[in-house]
Amino acid sequence: MASTAPSLRPLSSWKGLLRQSRQQRTCIRCLSTALATAPAQSLPPPPPRLRSPFRILNDTSHTSLKRIKTYPPPPSLRNKFPHPVDDWQAYHMKELDPRGSRTRLFDRYNPDVPHVGDILLVTFKTGDPFAGVCLSIKRRGVDTGILLRSRLTLVGVEMWVKVYSPNVKAVEVVKRAEKRARRGKLYYMRKPKHDKGSVEREVEEYLKRRRLIRSGELGVKDPLKSAKNPSAARSGVGAR
Amino acid sequence: MLNCIDNSGATIVECVANLRMKRHGRIGDRIIVVVQKSRSIGDSGPGNASAAAGNKVRRGDIRHAIIVRTAKKVQRKDGMVVRFDDNACALIGKNGEPLGTRINGVVGAELRSKQQSKILSLASMHV
Repeated sequence: MASTAPSLRPLSSWKGLLRQSRQQRTCIRCLSTALATAPAQSLPPPPPRLRSPFRILNDTSHTSLKRIKTYPPPPSLRNKFPHPVDDWQAYHMKELDPRGSRTRLFDRYNPDVPHVGDILLVTFKTGDPFAGVCLSIKRRGVDTGILLRSRLTLVGVEMWVKVYSPNVKAVEVVKRAEKRARRGKLYYMRKPKHDKGSVEREVEEYLKRRRLIRSGELGVKDPLKSAKNPSAARSGVGAR
Repeated sequence: MLNCIDNSGATIVECVANLRMKRHGRIGDRIIVVVQKSRSIGDSGPGNASAAAGNKVRRGDIRHAIIVRTAKKVQRKDGMVVRFDDNACALIGKNGEPLGTRINGVVGAELRSKQQSKILSLASMHV
């Protein structure tokens, strides 16, 4: 009976059977814990012995390396061109103003140099003129420009004109300011209180006078013809 | 707000969109404007046909326009810089033809490069 017990399914008394099996399981667990053998450990082979970190100091093989070929820097242009920007300016000024008349006109030491507050007349290559009160003169070599302000058809117009521009045919002084301006830049003339308004009347007078001078009726020497002495003409200094 | 300098009847218009890009307008740009002030129709009497013909737009109209003057400086290729004291425009129709028959006042010469020669020729002066 006892021998057949495990192979047969009991029809009853499940409780006792389950208890028995539980006890067996516990027994197995205990046993397995007690008798578990440790897996055979295969230790890694000992690392090869490192070479001494000080061997580089003692090593003399690197002294026999080939030397890297070096080349001398290209010759410096600094001594050849000590002032490249000035050279560049002079080159362009010579090209744009071959006779130097614009340079002389806007030279600070020229007694007839236009000041801010003067009325200037610029004639362009296309033929159309623009006249206005000079508010500002920017002297930057070949980048020299003048800011003219005028009033055309009741609208204020301002124009920066580059003096050396090839589009500019002539710059003429129409009328000097009565008093020297006490500012370098006359931006306050944009305000209605100080606005000079239209310069049409002054330009008309100037052009009339210029026509008379050129035709020789006034008996005054043409300042443009007497180019030898440009400072002789007090008003109407032109640069062409 | 811009001045309108043609004889379409509008005097002051407000810019509501720039058709070039979502950016500030420059001379020659096409913009959409709303007429804010126009010359009154009743001034010379309802029977006056010329006054009615002169007023092609009335207040509240939405129109296209071309900018002809800007207070912002405009630099040209040759280094010249031009600025005007006000912003102004001229109204145009849908086909691009100016609404007015005359433009009173100076306009910028940039209109030529922007293919607006018709406005340039109508203008009394260009700079």
